[in-house]
Amino acid sequence: MSSEAITPGVKRRDFLKVVGAGTAVASTMIGCTSEKVEKLIPYLVSPDETVPGVSTYYSTTCRECSAGCGVVAETRDGRAIKLEGNPSHPVNRGALCARGQAALQGLYNPDRYRGPMIRRNGKLVQATWDEALKVFGQKLAENRASAASAVFINRHESGNFPSFLNTWLAGMGMPAALSIDPDADFAAISANRQSYGVSWPKLDFAAAKLIVSFGADFLDGWGSSVSQQLDFADARAKIDTAPRLIYVGPRRSLTGLNADQWINARSGSEIAIVQMLAGSITPQQAAQASGVDAATLAALQKEIAAAKPGMFIAGGTGVSGSELCTAVNALNQSQGNVGVTIKPAEALNGYEGIDSPSQLRVLAQRMQAGSVSMLMVRGVNPAYTMPKSSGFAAAMAKVPFKVSFSAIPDETTGMADLVLPDNHSLESWGDAEPVRGTLSLQQPAMDPVFDTRSTGDVLIGVARAAGQGSFAAGSNDYRSVMIARFPGGAAALAAALPRGVTSGTTTTLTPRPLPAPVPAATSTGDYSLMVYMHPVLGMGGGANKPWLQELPDPVTKIAWQTVAEMHPSTAKKLGVENGDHVLVETAAGKLSLPTYVYLGIRPDTIAVAAGRGHADVAGRYARSGSNALDLLPYAEDRSGAVMLASAHAKVTKDGGSTRLATTEGSARQHGRGIGQAITVAELNGKAVSGEHTQKVTEGEEMPGDASHAFLPGLRSPTANDAQGELGGDGQQSKEKGMYAPNHWSGMAKRRWAMTIDLARCTGCSACVTACYAENNIPTVGADWQGAKVLPDRTGFGANITRSREMAWIRLERYFEGGEDGGADFDTRFVPMLCQHCGNAPCEPVCPVYATYHSPDGLNVQVYNRCVGTRYCSNNCPYKVRYFNWFGYGEPARPQYAFPEPLNWQLNPDVTVRGKGVMEKCSFCVQRIRETENRAALEHRGVEPDEFTTACAEACPSRAITFGDAADEKWTVAGMVNDKRAYHVFEELNTFTAVVYLKKVNHPAGGQA
Amino acid sequence: MATMARPVKEKDAPRRPNIATADVQLPAVKDYEQVDREIIGTLHPTAAWFIGLGVAIFFLIVGAGAWTYQIYSGLGVAGYNPPVMWGVYIITFVFWVGIGHAGTLISAILYLFRAGFRTTIYRCAEAMTVFAVMTAGLFPILHLGRPWKFFWLIPYPNWRYLWPQFKSPLVWDVFAILTYLTVSSTFLYIGLIPDIAVLRDHEKNPVRKRIFGILSLGWRNSDREWRHFARAYLFLAAFSTPLVLSVHSVVSFDFAMALTPGWHTTIFPPYFVAGAIFSGIGMVFTIIIPLRKWFGLKHYVTINHLDAAAKLCLFTSLVVGCAYMTEWFVAWYSGSEFEQGFFANRIWGQWWWASVILYTCNMVLPLSLFKQTWRRNPTWLFILSFFINLGMWFERFVIVVPSLSHEFEPWQWTGYTPTWVDFAILAGSFGWFSMWFLLFIKQLPVIAISEVKEIIPPKLRVRHDHGIDSAGRHLEFEPSTPGEYD
Repeated sequence: MSSEAITPGVKRRDFLKVVGAGTAVASTMIGCTSEKVEKLIPYLVSPDETVPGVSTYYSTTCRECSAGCGVVAETRDGRAIKLEGNPSHPVNRGALCARGQAALQGLYNPDRYRGPMIRRNGKLVQATWDEALKVFGQKLAENRASAASAVFINRHESGNFPSFLNTWLAGMGMPAALSIDPDADFAAISANRQSYGVSWPKLDFAAAKLIVSFGADFLDGWGSSVSQQLDFADARAKIDTAPRLIYVGPRRSLTGLNADQWINARSGSEIAIVQMLAGSITPQQAAQASGVDAATLAALQKEIAAAKPGMFIAGGTGVSGSELCTAVNALNQSQGNVGVTIKPAEALNGYEGIDSPSQLRVLAQRMQAGSVSMLMVRGVNPAYTMPKSSGFAAAMAKVPFKVSFSAIPDETTGMADLVLPDNHSLESWGDAEPVRGTLSLQQPAMDPVFDTRSTGDVLIGVARAAGQGSFAAGSNDYRSVMIARFPGGAAALAAALPRGVTSGTTTTLTPRPLPAPVPAATSTGDYSLMVYMHPVLGMGGGANKPWLQELPDPVTKIAWQTVAEMHPSTAKKLGVENGDHVLVETAAGKLSLPTYVYLGIRPDTIAVAAGRGHADVAGRYARSGSNALDLLPYAEDRSGAVMLASAHAKVTKDGGSTRLATTEGSARQHGRGIGQAITVAELNGKAVSGEHTQKVTEGEEMPGDASHAFLPGLRSPTANDAQGELGGDGQQSKEKGMYAPNHWSGMAKRRWAMTIDLARCTGCSACVTACYAENNIPTVGADWQGAKVLPDRTGFGANITRSREMAWIRLERYFEGGEDGGADFDTRFVPMLCQHCGNAPCEPVCPVYATYHSPDGLNVQVYNRCVGTRYCSNNCPYKVRYFNWFGYGEPARPQYAFPEPLNWQLNPDVTVRGKGVMEKCSFCVQRIRETENRAALEHRGVEPDEFTTACAEACPSRAITFGDAADEKWTVAGMVNDKRAYHVFEELNTFTAVVYLKKVNHPAGGQA
Repeated sequence: MATMARPVKEKDAPRRPNIATADVQLPAVKDYEQVDREIIGTLHPTAAWFIGLGVAIFFLIVGAGAWTYQIYSGLGVAGYNPPVMWGVYIITFVFWVGIGHAGTLISAILYLFRAGFRTTIYRCAEAMTVFAVMTAGLFPILHLGRPWKFFWLIPYPNWRYLWPQFKSPLVWDVFAILTYLTVSSTFLYIGLIPDIAVLRDHEKNPVRKRIFGILSLGWRNSDREWRHFARAYLFLAAFSTPLVLSVHSVVSFDFAMALTPGWHTTIFPPYFVAGAIFSGIGMVFTIIIPLRKWFGLKHYVTINHLDAAAKLCLFTSLVVGCAYMTEWFVAWYSGSEFEQGFFANRIWGQWWWASVILYTCNMVLPLSLFKQTWRRNPTWLFILSFFINLGMWFERFVIVVPSLSHEFEPWQWTGYTPTWVDFAILAGSFGWFSMWFLLFIKQLPVIAISEVKEIIPPKLRVRHDHGIDSAGRHLEFEPSTPGEYD
């Protein structure tokens, strides 16, 4: 600072000017140094449209599966922090599943390639793009003569990219790319193509009176789960006309658990039941083949005859999947369901053009024979998803030059000679055609995290360098290609981008003809082995994302581990209990797995989820568990789909035991009425159970239900006025409420509340992952997070074996009935979160006021004030408070949950909690306050339903409704009046703000 | 007390000692000099004492090391298994607070009731109380997620105008424990003043003499001092008496005020107080029986004293047993499925072994004290005292852990396995307690010199070889009570 500036008598204003200028100079100087400067915000000069602390939203497309859902990426200061469904999108209509939410953890995956990699001396080492592209160009030139024997395997996607890629490949003299989606049920797709002419017809659940699913797990990632779940939940929510769902198969998947009836047919015998329904065999014959009692099948036959229109859907991953799917489609046609409940005209477009997985087997044979000169892979991982017995990985090693364009390391990329990492879908341009005639646009939500390049750009660059004419003028990058193909050009694209969806078509690929299938090698053994796609990890694609690993499987509630599911009677016969190891042997190999005893599986079947147990190369998280695909003797069905079942497997007790990383305490409610259900007949007063015969009307109490006594309190404008006595006719009682209705804050007029409709909830757990994303919840199950400090617990899930998972909202899965091991049991999924009690047991016991009641009815947790006595959790009947046992948010610790750059995803509106404090659901208080502040800035009140919580926003069943229960204009205020409403543990007088609506069961024949 | 001495023939000899009076007699203690000599004689450090102190400090260091590790890493290194959010630390806290109850009971309540057997054991029990409360007081801090913020539980003026939540039983705990620590240490110190004066008078080392001089507050053994002393002592005894009942009642509120099944019960305050006294007497046995042997004080702490204490022990055991049964009854009578489910799980569920330990140690084994020969067998009392300590620790275990692991929400039912950190800190608490106690017994008299002198015959001008009754008449022979001195 210059000395003459500070003279006696200097004015305050001048002084401040000098100080300000000095600081500016100093900061500029800092900016000029070559040393790495820690930035508080990612921008030095921020773009005009961004305001620090205010989010910018970009509509784009989710590429985690082939469905092509629309997402809105919330970015803060140039970083994507949250994905929401795009409400304008015809497929997902604003909802988003757990896998979609977790796309962010693919974007910020700490194991992602930082830049291009070249194999030198047998090891992949980092290189510059110039080096890598030079190598790629050289190899392309070298292989010019043998270009016809080069193979490109692309992750199946709809939109313009595949045809762009094929144009490029043609220009290089290479054959068109293989379009592969390991998660797709190809047997069903192939049958649909034959029967309906489309790959995936729209399933109109609402139009059906009866749905029979033969292993079609439409809530478990079979097809477009979000749209199917939305349609299914909507259909079931119209309670009187809701379709009944019957599930036929050896294991109750998530879809099976949502069914009203389970017919536990022997693995591979579902076709016999279809034949019976088609009238070609008698129920007795079908019963003999399927191991189901003939009376049940006869009843099914009768019910189907009565309930029209019906819907028959089949999943084709079983032993004779292709035949089953074809037969079921024929049944639909003969019953006249096509066009009524199954609508090929409104087909989902995501699977059009997909190639059969058997193409990979054919490729493996070619590679084995040495007739593949160059292999290029983008976004798929056949070295993992093709069972070891197919010999794919071994054959791939024989290819002289392998290029991978995958963004995230996996087994296939680990074998590559050159890695040209693609941008993540949230960093790149593109489009999808989720429904015929509708384009879902994909735009980068942020700059690339690492030194990666969009494959489109790389291919264009290489083609131009090679002097290939097809990408000459005006198309420097893939974006310009996209604009060129977009009707109306750049201006129209810019106009369409905010909405994210527009009309338009793309070229559909023509799938290759099917090769002859390979039959299975014969295994022996008494058990049927069933490998199924993990509902959230898919065929391994999600395994590198800690949110998805930590998310308990919606059915088994196991996180991080691979288990062998078996029926209680099987476990008894083998002499094993939960966690004891069993050895599962097939012709392909054997695997020692911990037992998980599951009621919803046939006693002669063992089920193992695929998706875990990756090689070390696939990253730190993907290593957890075991690879179930190693057990599969490679076999294809008629359509070329890989069979995920083996007719026979030997199962024996093995030594050792593993603690299960499960979040399940007791799977039984013990009559405590946490997840309550009611039959349709009871709801309509038609039931004759006991004396309750009168029709239940609005406001009237349900039989044996006292819920409505407390609901007025919920609607009371005064937060703690549980009895609702402050509102009406001058009954002023200062003792009743903690805050007077006219509290100076003005907040006491609101009562934030939530309803959860159990008739809609399918237990998919998307809300859980959405909550992790919104509220910076740490994942705790990685092996290094527990092993070093819990010497008695090692491996993945160590902290979860001690129930230390942090999920603010959890999905409880209770079974009712089936104590005898029978198939007739009901499942209650209960999303459990902080109930924000009006009379909260946690509040008075906190010695330091770290938890208290806000005037607008929130039960608030003040992390800074918490000293960690954990008394609040002891006193919470719902057990929804979670303690920070370790410094999950401290980078220097082994338990750090957000290794760079996963921490980029952290929501800046929410604190990352420190070690030793309690945390819990806040009803997304940051969203409440943000909305209130925005309304205040705009000089208006908060509009009804202006915002919602992260769980409610993501929910693909629309089961969760959030809002102000004290204001009749909000949806939630009407929902709490529903005749199915109840509070959990109402007898404790906690006056919860979360109201559950009873699940509705649809028993056979409409009986109670 | 025998009024007239006469020869007793073999057939007339009482088959049992006259227990009504035996507990106030110290026939083997002849005079004041013997008292001073023998009790002050215990204060010389020995090699065994140094070894014992070393072991205690070793355990303390182990515990302190474990705590340091826990503060650094987070509470996750302990065996918590949510929703079992309280574990070994809270169990051990209640255990030590309970231990701390016998001291005040013996020194204050029995003083007011003029129970003679208290004289020789009360100092030991009172010191035990102070150190046990000091130990207990560590645990609420130890178990905090952020122990460096523990002072937020104390109401102190601050610019944020933030006060503790006075509805929280944990804040009541802070007051209860601090009050109890203050009063019990004051009471201990007041009782020590005349004894410190004795030590001062016998001390040769000028530094120690000076310290004792200060600590004895210039005690000159004058009538006036004795009059004030007696009034103060009586006052403090009366002041401490309600604390014996209130402190553990407040501790029990930690549980009773909560909703948790197995905690939410009005029987807890009396049940906890009885349990505390029971465990305290158990700990007194654990300490005094080896002490009277090692310090050669068997003729001070006589079998009759142990016998009387054992009766108190038996009584409190019966009270505690009654409370256990009442809990069962209330669980059945409440009709609450949560309460019934919890109690069924307590005995038939995963924690059956803990309940077996609890009921065996606290209800079944103390029944042996109905038999006089067992009451008068120090070896058995010593063994039994270990079972009582174990049983009382498990009583708190059964209250804390099974309740939390089997609450309202079945989905959240879990187990609980402590880790080495829990056990290291538990061992460290014994090290901490033992260190203070060992330091105490070599610095200050473990038997109240002045009170013992009150019950032995006063100093006579002439030494007699035979006994003298209270009226000063010479006895022809000494009455002996069987078993009084061995």
